[in-house]
Amino acid sequence: MDEVHIEARNLSVRYPRATGWALRHLSFTVVRGETLLLLGPSGSGKSTIGLCLAGLIPNSVPARTEGCILLDGRDAADMPVGERTATVGMVFQDPEAQFCMLTVEDEVAFGLENLTVPRQEMDGRIGEALSLVGLKHRRRERVDRLSGGQKQRLALACALAMRPATLFLDEPTSNLDPATRYGFFQLLKALRRRQPELTIIIVEHILDDLIGMVDRVLVLDDGKASSPAEEPARVFDRRGHALDEMGIWLPQVTALARKLRLAGLAVARLPLTVEEAAAALQHLVARRTIERGDDVHRRGTACRVPTTQSSSRPPAISVRDLSFRYGRGPLVLDKASLEVPQGSFYSLVGPNGAGKTTLASHLVGILPPGPGQVRILGDDITELTTAQITDRVGYVFQNPEHQFVELHVEDELAYSLRIRQHSAAEVQAAVQRLLDDFGLASHRRANPFSLSQGQKRRLSVATMLALGQRVLVLDEPTFGQDRNTAHSLMARLCALQQSGVTILAITHDMQLVADYAEQTAVLVEGQICFSGPTPQLFANRALLREASLRPLPLHELARALGIAYQDGTLPMSIRDWYPFFGLERPVEPDASPVSRSAT
Amino acid sequence: MNGLFSYYETDSFLHRRNPSLKLLSLMVLMLAVTMAFDPWTPTVFFVGALAVQCFLGRVPLRSLARPLLFFFALGALGFVSSNALFYAPPPGGSVAVLWQRGALRVTVEGLRVGVSLTIRMMAIVVFSMIFVTTTDPTDLVLSLIQHARFPFRLGYGILVAYRFLPLWQTELGIIRAAHRIRGVGERTTLRGRWEQLRRYAVPLLASAIRKSERVAIAMDSKAFGALPRRTYYRQVRVTWLDWAMLAGTILTTVLILLVLARAGLLIGYGVVPED
Repeated sequence: MDEVHIEARNLSVRYPRATGWALRHLSFTVVRGETLLLLGPSGSGKSTIGLCLAGLIPNSVPARTEGCILLDGRDAADMPVGERTATVGMVFQDPEAQFCMLTVEDEVAFGLENLTVPRQEMDGRIGEALSLVGLKHRRRERVDRLSGGQKQRLALACALAMRPATLFLDEPTSNLDPATRYGFFQLLKALRRRQPELTIIIVEHILDDLIGMVDRVLVLDDGKASSPAEEPARVFDRRGHALDEMGIWLPQVTALARKLRLAGLAVARLPLTVEEAAAALQHLVARRTIERGDDVHRRGTACRVPTTQSSSRPPAISVRDLSFRYGRGPLVLDKASLEVPQGSFYSLVGPNGAGKTTLASHLVGILPPGPGQVRILGDDITELTTAQITDRVGYVFQNPEHQFVELHVEDELAYSLRIRQHSAAEVQAAVQRLLDDFGLASHRRANPFSLSQGQKRRLSVATMLALGQRVLVLDEPTFGQDRNTAHSLMARLCALQQSGVTILAITHDMQLVADYAEQTAVLVEGQICFSGPTPQLFANRALLREASLRPLPLHELARALGIAYQDGTLPMSIRDWYPFFGLERPVEPDASPVSRSAT
Repeated sequence: MNGLFSYYETDSFLHRRNPSLKLLSLMVLMLAVTMAFDPWTPTVFFVGALAVQCFLGRVPLRSLARPLLFFFALGALGFVSSNALFYAPPPGGSVAVLWQRGALRVTVEGLRVGVSLTIRMMAIVVFSMIFVTTTDPTDLVLSLIQHARFPFRLGYGILVAYRFLPLWQTELGIIRAAHRIRGVGERTTLRGRWEQLRRYAVPLLASAIRKSERVAIAMDSKAFGALPRRTYYRQVRVTWLDWAMLAGTILTTVLILLVLARAGLLIGYGVVPED
């Protein structure tokens, strides 16, 4: 089995007009049948490896290369393109942008046609590939009618139909909700069992459901690998600090065990899965049940705002029996009701397509109100003008680019003030304050579109606060960001909340919900089926299942260890775990320092 | 997409026909109508086409009502009125004046040309609609590649673009909403509209370029264009019925023209009306 299948020798890649090398003198080997995980911050060259492997660099994507990459001992650069693409199957991140045909079977056939597979043979191979990913019954379906998860499975089928020796998966689940992500990795595990010869190279950020099948991990930083690929536990053990620095998420149970060890506990080997963690930590638990202290109740994050005073004021957002459908389509919202108290940090979760964005759109009057009522700070939204609504509510779209209307960062921030005829001095002062608050001062003359992903997000949040809005609604604020940028953004939102702004965040990121949201509402099939304190949501397994939310690995571990608060709820973030092991709760938040991420 | 023209998914005689030969038949009809200048010929073709659409295409006429009304209004307002008022008789020809006030006058000849132009346009619209509503776009492109020597790289480019149209439509909707929240009003002045176009275009183009790059890489990763030749899973067939459709179209067209010429109603094709 230990036959070297892929070997990179001193591979360097430089894109035209780029300032530096995307890969520098990279050497690594992959054994046939192995699963290799590529880790590294964005821009570290992970995707470039895939492009080289499939021969897309330099054939389709122009780039200068040095060194070589060998497939079964043959230089990939000398192989005919058709042969190389047939050897390496690719699955990409964006479910919308990897298909070119209209129906499922045509899409799978596409690759086979390009390889001039005879027509008689295609039928069988299409059926085979589709049944491997569980899409056989959708064979004649139109691609655009598939869900995000199904599209990614289709992408996998397209690659498998070409019978590749290697699969390269480039962040295949980053657009999927937690349960769908779990399903995709289960599928991958089943595939691994059925095809032990298949080599899998995968780039991923959220590792909890994946790490169990990974054989080795290669850490990339700035196009280099400072040590050879090793098994996951060793990498997390020896390079945990470096990974922290790079803003890479460890599996939650691994991160917990590592923190506890740094706090002085004798954790012999870093666990990867809930089962391993339960075994490793079992004998170290000091107390299985403790009282939920006041600070524990507030979870000690930066978000500490007394909620007692909020009851006397009208809620920031109040939605009552709201129903909505697009045109003559099915009901997207079905008598949804939600109340968000002023000054709270609220999250809205639910499976893809549950109507979360539709509900949020009603809060700023983007959609005409159907039956039901929406009140913002006590006033019926239908009685407010668009200007009055936008004075009260800032709405941050999922894609920050959609909101940009000016050519410079500072004009972007000034825009809403200028159209309201504020004086030049006022505008100037407000813009300067926002530039400073959001770490954008050095980019004031930059074009918004030229900013990095994290900067774009910060700018879009800042523009939504220019008018002094008291309510901020965010659609997937941390989408597509690494851990450092995500946490720095959340820290900013917490600071805003402390100044009295109400935050409502739509998100798929359950750890974020656990770490920051005081209260959470769950939207399933257009109805709010839960709203209340976040710990109660996570204590309710049936509800989590129904909402296609995965229980947090830390909560599964808590159950396995028999750890809980006296009221039956579970510790939410890593800091909450310390008292159970007889340790003092750390003062410092376990998120990476906020200051660093402003760069 | 629920635009004026889109594919109507059902099964019918016309739906089963080969797209390339259907396109050829369509061209025959268009040519026949374009060369006739009297109002009767396009009327016959127009009514005939509606019948074909209804019985051979199984597309409910209701769905044609909107586009037809649109073009009818356009024709009535544009062609009929302008020709009725401004018709210039050929040298030596005379005109019958129906109504006159000052320099404005309505002539019989002008009216006739205007009506004939309108009906001609309507007939051509119906022909195109028959084609679009009964032809699966994927089949059309595949048939053009397989039967009409259309280059496959270009063909697949068109297919991808077609796939992306509804996505961009959705995205434009989101951008408009996002800008409205920023307080950007929908502009009515010319300069305002230009400014607005730029504001919508930048994010839309940024995303279009990104998406198309991704699709291109995804297609290349499946060996698209790696070999000079490719095979096809979906074979678009040509059967004797397809040729029969073409032959039938030509025959019917000739027959209609002959009958009309006999009746002295046909103008054009070098046929001069009796005076």
